[in-house]
Amino acid sequence: MASPRRAAVVGANRIPFARSNGAYARASNQDMLTAALDGLVARFGLTEERMGEVVAGAVLKHSRDFNLTREAVLGSRLSAATPTYDVQQACGTGLEAAILVANKIALGQIEVGIAGGVDTTSDAPIAVNDDLREVLLEANRAKSTAGVVKALAGLRPGQLVPEIPANREPRTGMAMGEHAAITAAHWGVERTAQDELTARSHQNLAKAYDAGFFDDLMTPFLGLTKDNNLRADSTAEKLGKLKPVFFPAGGDKAEATMTAGNSTPLTDGAATVLLASDEWAAERGLPVLAHLVDAETAAVDYVHGDEGLLMAPAYAVPRLLERNGLTLQDFDFYEIHEAFASTVLATLAAWESPQFCKERLGLDAPLGSIDRGKLNVHGSSLAAGHPFAATGARIVPTLAKTIHQNGGGRGLISICAAGGQGVVAILEA
Amino acid sequence: MSHDWYSDFVNSGFGRAVAGNVGLPPVPKLRRWQPGQPLLSGAALLGTATADGRVAKVVRAVLADAGVEVHEDPAAPIGGGSSSSKVAAAVLDATGLSSPRDLAAVQQFLTPVMRRVGPSGRILVIGDVPAQAERPAVRAARRSLEGLVRSAAKEARYGATVNLVHVADGAENDLESTLRFFLSSRSAFVDGQRLDVGTVPGYAGSSAGTDWEHPVTGKVAVVTGAARGIGRTVAQTLARDGATVVAVDVPSAGDALAHTANDVGGTALQLDITSDGAGEAILEHCRRHGGIDIVVHNAGITRDKLLANQDTDRWNSVIDVNLNSQLAINDLLLASSDDDGFHRGGRIVTVSSMAGIAGNRGQTSYGASKAGVIGLVEATAPLLADKDATINAVAPGFIETAMTAAMPVGTREAGRRLSSLTQGGLPIDVAETIAWFAQGASYAINGQVLRVDGQNYLGA
Amino acid sequence: MPTETLDSAPTLGALYGRALLTARSGGSTLPDRTLELVNATIDADAVADYAHVCGFRVGGELPITYPHMLAFPLQMRLMTDREFPLPAPGMVHLRNVITQQRPLAVGEPLVVRVHAERLVAHPKGAQVDLVSTVGLPDEEAAWHSRSTYFVRGASAEEPTDAAPPEPEPHVGDRPHAVWTVPGDIGRRYAAVSGDVNPIHVNGLAAKAFGMPGTIAHGMWSKARVLAALAGRTDEAVTVDAVFRSPLRIPSKAFLYTAATKDGWDAALRSKKGKDHLLLTVRPAS
Repeated sequence: MASPRRAAVVGANRIPFARSNGAYARASNQDMLTAALDGLVARFGLTEERMGEVVAGAVLKHSRDFNLTREAVLGSRLSAATPTYDVQQACGTGLEAAILVANKIALGQIEVGIAGGVDTTSDAPIAVNDDLREVLLEANRAKSTAGVVKALAGLRPGQLVPEIPANREPRTGMAMGEHAAITAAHWGVERTAQDELTARSHQNLAKAYDAGFFDDLMTPFLGLTKDNNLRADSTAEKLGKLKPVFFPAGGDKAEATMTAGNSTPLTDGAATVLLASDEWAAERGLPVLAHLVDAETAAVDYVHGDEGLLMAPAYAVPRLLERNGLTLQDFDFYEIHEAFASTVLATLAAWESPQFCKERLGLDAPLGSIDRGKLNVHGSSLAAGHPFAATGARIVPTLAKTIHQNGGGRGLISICAAGGQGVVAILEA
Repeated sequence: MSHDWYSDFVNSGFGRAVAGNVGLPPVPKLRRWQPGQPLLSGAALLGTATADGRVAKVVRAVLADAGVEVHEDPAAPIGGGSSSSKVAAAVLDATGLSSPRDLAAVQQFLTPVMRRVGPSGRILVIGDVPAQAERPAVRAARRSLEGLVRSAAKEARYGATVNLVHVADGAENDLESTLRFFLSSRSAFVDGQRLDVGTVPGYAGSSAGTDWEHPVTGKVAVVTGAARGIGRTVAQTLARDGATVVAVDVPSAGDALAHTANDVGGTALQLDITSDGAGEAILEHCRRHGGIDIVVHNAGITRDKLLANQDTDRWNSVIDVNLNSQLAINDLLLASSDDDGFHRGGRIVTVSSMAGIAGNRGQTSYGASKAGVIGLVEATAPLLADKDATINAVAPGFIETAMTAAMPVGTREAGRRLSSLTQGGLPIDVAETIAWFAQGASYAINGQVLRVDGQNYLGA
Repeated sequence: MPTETLDSAPTLGALYGRALLTARSGGSTLPDRTLELVNATIDADAVADYAHVCGFRVGGELPITYPHMLAFPLQMRLMTDREFPLPAPGMVHLRNVITQQRPLAVGEPLVVRVHAERLVAHPKGAQVDLVSTVGLPDEEAAWHSRSTYFVRGASAEEPTDAAPPEPEPHVGDRPHAVWTVPGDIGRRYAAVSGDVNPIHVNGLAAKAFGMPGTIAHGMWSKARVLAALAGRTDEAVTVDAVFRSPLRIPSKAFLYTAATKDGWDAALRSKKGKDHLLLTVRPAS
């Protein structure tokens, strides 16, 4: 797999992530994405500079935000001549945006671009329910005032109840947590292991803050200077006292292991990452943190196909490894998105399972285990929170800087997404 | 000043009448610099105290270059007016004094001048460096100028300032940026002060070809504490004068810092300057700009406590931010490469304070740190001379900022009124002085501490 | 001019009520006092509401027109005084000039000061300037605003000095944006600003005061134009706006903009090309 050139991760900016209905309750996606972009502009002196492209997205979007990224760029300090487009791949959005920008850089179509993501569950679009929608559309189609009145006269109070978007799979009617609970039960993921992983995520993130790791990756917003989901004093013992909140459908209550602690909370936030060709970075004297080497996406049939909703990365990674002639152990760092602690553990268990690797992946031998000391070393979503589309744009620079500080190395990113999808990538320096 | 009641009152018609009757000082509106403003708003008088004066020629040349109408006969009518019509500035070459008897010539020049300089006028006396004289009579005469100038500054009215420049032997051709600063409205709040030029040996540089409208064009300037207040104004002023600004502040102020950086088209560096590796982080960040020409150590904190109630943690935090961080960063700058580190001919400007000169109740830690800054400047100056670089300090007095808002009303009013200019200064006054020290053309100014305080009467 | 310090911000609804119900003595000279409010608290939620109505981004710094929300109640307090020479109800905003040295931020302990000056004759009545400053307690006015209000048919002495020249934006003849101004914008802006002047919320009341119907707040249209220029203007700016023919709501309005050497020109016009608002953005003066 030879590509003309590799896109460089040059730097990043995000705003601290805030738990839903908290510090950013009144900020819109556009407000947050613009703030993140302006912080990036300040860090790299990009005032009035034209980027090759800015690619970002949000999972929960108002209809008026159809051109969210373009609107954010127009309100930012970047040149208004910067083209943009929106992408949406659920929780994979931020990473997919980075891949798209990197690909254009690799092909020489652009020299520099910004990838990002933003989400708010505080300012989520509230849709009218289907009944009301029918009535309103009919009224809209009516040719006369009388027609409008007639259409609206059919309204019943029950039709006025708004539909608040839920973190639910349309085809199964189950919340993502319920899906994850089924997977956790299937893989027999222990409660204590989940709580330990969660506590480590908080402790690692807290250490990273103390070391100033985020000083050049983050800009405060609306009075928040740190991710406010972070509990630096978190321990597995404390987490062990929480009651389960997600139950496997049709399963045994006794199997319930997933709590509000070892699941990510609803979060608001935005993140951006600056990608460029080596030449662009060199012209400006900017060090390259790492290169984006390759990426892969996968999807699983979680509806009828007997696979867990969040297990797609388990399929994407082996394909990526094979294409690049690598084994799972050939990495210095692993960034596995912590949608739920159980998701990370189930994915690792799958790669260790000879049966899964043979039957599902068609491999002669399992991928094997990883050195857990290399996993999410600066914390991940359980501690930082998870504004869906922003997470990938948080993880890419976190890993790139980790590799850079290490003096080089290789890192693997794995992100699961709603709809049974997964996005994975390799960074190297 | 929006909330300067006294100023509002004295400047109202009724207030003027009352103030005149009871002897309250008037509050002049100081002329401040704007892009495109000429060096002086009118003509200048130039005098020489002795036949041995060695700087009049240079002053004449600088004023001519700036397009200023110069008169050397103080009795001659000016601009079609009379011999008593107003002038914008008066410069006296008082070099070459051989004994206190020569001071009479100084008096004879200045006496009519005191009435002739207009609002925000400039009186500048240039003398020899006392320490370079061995004979008691010569040294006494030279030293006398300082007392004369400081006293005259307290008599000057309507925003006029009186300042003294000591020029070292052989430094007479290195005065241009100094003359331009003291004569222009950039020095609006510098009054009754003394500055030495050319006193640290081995300096090198030139003011030839300087674009005086943008005197730091192409330079890279690091400003610490740039998110808000004086630091932000310094960043804006250096950018206005042509520099690429690297705005530094603590990560928690990053939001405001990003605004500053984007406003001046520079870059933002979120950094705790007391952290290990802060200096390296600054050097590293600036490599993208090809290195550093100017460093402004503006970041500072106060943790005021009476000494009797002081505790060591608070004490150390002030000393660390205000003094140790500067020492550590300067060490790195000195050791860095000329290529992509702190450039040859670089400038360091640091911020001391009146509290470090005169002391301030409740500010033992702050005062100690700011006095320490002066020691730092004095000791670093000769080290930098090897790099054709300089280090100087400004010592702001009462500057109207958010910090002064916390003062009790009495102290605040006293702070404003007890200065020769009868008002508080503005952040821009401090910034203009810093930007002047930062000029390449200010190569002969090294190891100096200049008060920007309107000649505050408090303390010293 | 003596200063009167208020304990809290006046409530606008009550002031309008007072203005409508109280018999006015209508003095001939302006009140010789400055109203002051110290430690004006800025509610982040209120700023967000305002930003949503006017189209600004929600961020840590105040929209340039937001401090008017702090000053306006004090202006009304002065103008609804029995002795104030002009009646407040039906007063029309002619011009507003804001100079911002730096953006103010949520959380700053701000001082708001307002006084009236320059009561002079207008060809069709009389006008008065309300001067407002907002800043930190000892800061040279970070934010300064001069609002000129007009009352039809009122009288005052002829001015002795000329008002500064009005902004003359040069914007070309092609609109850059078409706004659909909703009929409830007056009500919504009234809700966030407290400016419940009946001409903005009620058609009958508007007609009673000689308006063609409900009209949008001038300061809303100014804010909305500045929001449209977000990210394109400097922070230290003077924004001079004159309000021409009232913007009836609901309606369509056409925004014309042009970048100048050191700022922006803008005009908001009706479909027929009548000027609603003329505006210039220049470096702070």
